[in-house]
Amino acid sequence: MLSSTIFLHPASYFIIGAFLLPLFSRVKIAQKVIILIVPLLAFWQIHALPESFGVCHLMGFELTFGRVDKLTYVFLHVFTLMALIGAVYCLHVKETGHHIAAFLYVAGSLGTTLAGDYLTIFIFWELMAFASVFLIWYRKKKRSIEAGYRYLLVHTAGGLILLAGIFLRYQNCHDLTFDRILVEGATTADYLIMVGFMLNAAVPPIHAWLPDAYPEATVCGAVFMCAFTTKTAVYVLARAFPGFEMLAIMGAIMTLYGVGYAVIENDARRILAYHIVSQVGYMVCGIGIGTALAINGACAHAYAHILYKALLFMGVGAVLEMTGKSKLNELGGLYKRMPVALFFTVIGGIAISGFPLTSGFISKSMIIAGAGADHRVILMLMLSLAAVGTFLSVGIKLPYFIWFGKDSGVKAKEAPWNMNLAMAGAAFMCIFLGIYPEYLYRMLPFACDYHPYTAYHVSETLQILGFTGLGFYLMVKYLHPDPKSNLDVDWFYRKGSLAFMWCACKPISIANDWIGEVYRTVGLRFTMLVAKALSWFDWEGIDWAVDGSAKGVVKGGDQVRALQTGKIQQYIGGAVAALMIVLLVIVFL
Amino acid sequence: MAKVLGYLRAHAKVLKWVFFAYLIGTLVFDFLVERHHPHFWGDSIIGFWALFTLFGCLGMIVFCKGLSHVWLAQREDFYDREDSDNVE
Repeated sequence: MLSSTIFLHPASYFIIGAFLLPLFSRVKIAQKVIILIVPLLAFWQIHALPESFGVCHLMGFELTFGRVDKLTYVFLHVFTLMALIGAVYCLHVKETGHHIAAFLYVAGSLGTTLAGDYLTIFIFWELMAFASVFLIWYRKKKRSIEAGYRYLLVHTAGGLILLAGIFLRYQNCHDLTFDRILVEGATTADYLIMVGFMLNAAVPPIHAWLPDAYPEATVCGAVFMCAFTTKTAVYVLARAFPGFEMLAIMGAIMTLYGVGYAVIENDARRILAYHIVSQVGYMVCGIGIGTALAINGACAHAYAHILYKALLFMGVGAVLEMTGKSKLNELGGLYKRMPVALFFTVIGGIAISGFPLTSGFISKSMIIAGAGADHRVILMLMLSLAAVGTFLSVGIKLPYFIWFGKDSGVKAKEAPWNMNLAMAGAAFMCIFLGIYPEYLYRMLPFACDYHPYTAYHVSETLQILGFTGLGFYLMVKYLHPDPKSNLDVDWFYRKGSLAFMWCACKPISIANDWIGEVYRTVGLRFTMLVAKALSWFDWEGIDWAVDGSAKGVVKGGDQVRALQTGKIQQYIGGAVAALMIVLLVIVFL
Repeated sequence: MAKVLGYLRAHAKVLKWVFFAYLIGTLVFDFLVERHHPHFWGDSIIGFWALFTLFGCLGMIVFCKGLSHVWLAQREDFYDREDSDNVE
């Protein structure tokens, strides 16, 4: 009984933790304890959550902060586990703000996962976007600052589409409960909501924010970001839009789109970022197919993917942290200097490629089997081909050109203990799930009668892996990394913004000057006359009456100006803090 | 571990033959396994996935690298450069 009566919303642990962290900014050891305790508490807490909690009424709306079923549980489980692994990995980071951003980001993700209505989702959805942008900005390089602004703008646009969908939905049916939407009954409002969700799931052509922003994030920030934004989007899609044919097709295209770019990119973290697009494609496709097996597969794959993708980002991040480099053409031959990072990254690489006895084998195959069982042959072949590209680009190309290949002579030593510990934890989970899939299958939303280790499936996988290796062996000299990056659809808004700036600088500015000139010659004389008349009236009539208040306004203005620092980072921080306080007041009072 | 890897690299020729033996092994294994529920015609052809993978892999490399070469690849400061032009 005790466990069901004493509980806190898991997100509130992270929000309270975020408020506590700055208080201990001088006592680093206490801060580290908080950083580790908070995700531990949340991980323990999710087992004790009741089915529904935190229902409150605000201005005629019913907000549901907690709704727990099997679908929620599997995502909560992996999110809190990942928060713990990420916290260990980030333990050495000195900036308190970085930890606060990571905590609020996780809180946003957990809040969205638990939300039972669209308004609550929207609040936490935006918290996630605004907190995560700081994980990019904390890298403090010019490219990161710019990428952060683009990330923020794209997510704000996505948030507005989502909000428009929510408003329309409310107008249509006065019901904001977040639940399954049937294909037959879907309206424009639902499709707008779906587009908002798809932007966060990085479905092409609205995916370019991901490979643009993630490679510019901090080493630790990228580890958090690769886990939460896209997989929270997968959760909301799985909740609301299972069985939508569009998702099945888009998902299959995503898988190939992502690996295609991963094959040609040079920056290791950009390769991994494109791989998120590809792997999330499997999940989106599974949701689109919509059968119990496919949705189970999507959830299982989200669980497995979070762990091995984080492991890969941690391994490559360790190289970046120790050498300052992440481009394949500048790396090579690191196996003598960073064998531990190599070991863990290869485990991540074989897990993502779906080697037998790793987590990818038991999760990816569920979605492919789901497509097969539903007789979707083309989808199934597309997903299988993406699996080939996955092993080619992340399983072989990435470790080969960082740790083997031509020795670059880059100086490096092993990463700090906490990074290695976090990698060991994630690597353990990758192998553990591969050996003991029942642990994961038990958590899945539908009863599961799927056996990955059949002789035929093993044979199929061994062929795919072996012959991909042969393909790499034959083509290795064509795959040599060049110091190039490839255009993607972000070209449209990055070049579009330049065109906008050009318009603002040239034609609009010229027109403005011309109007100014007309005004100076024609308007000014007239205005001077009017002003003289008004001045006389003001001097004689008004000023003695309101002089006192005018001085007061000037003084108040000065004080407000002191608050306006002109830094958008501080404004966002302030707005998020205010939002959190309002939320805490609503929930607890 | 670095020593083991160094040793293996020194004997790359042996590794190559082990790898080819493995490839033949997978085909032999595919000949032996039972096929309970073939999802489509490809599942009943022996070595289908080997051929699919090999051609898929080569095709993907040629297509993506080619596309990158003729169209997509740009210098890494492509966007930065345009920005600075604009400022000037």
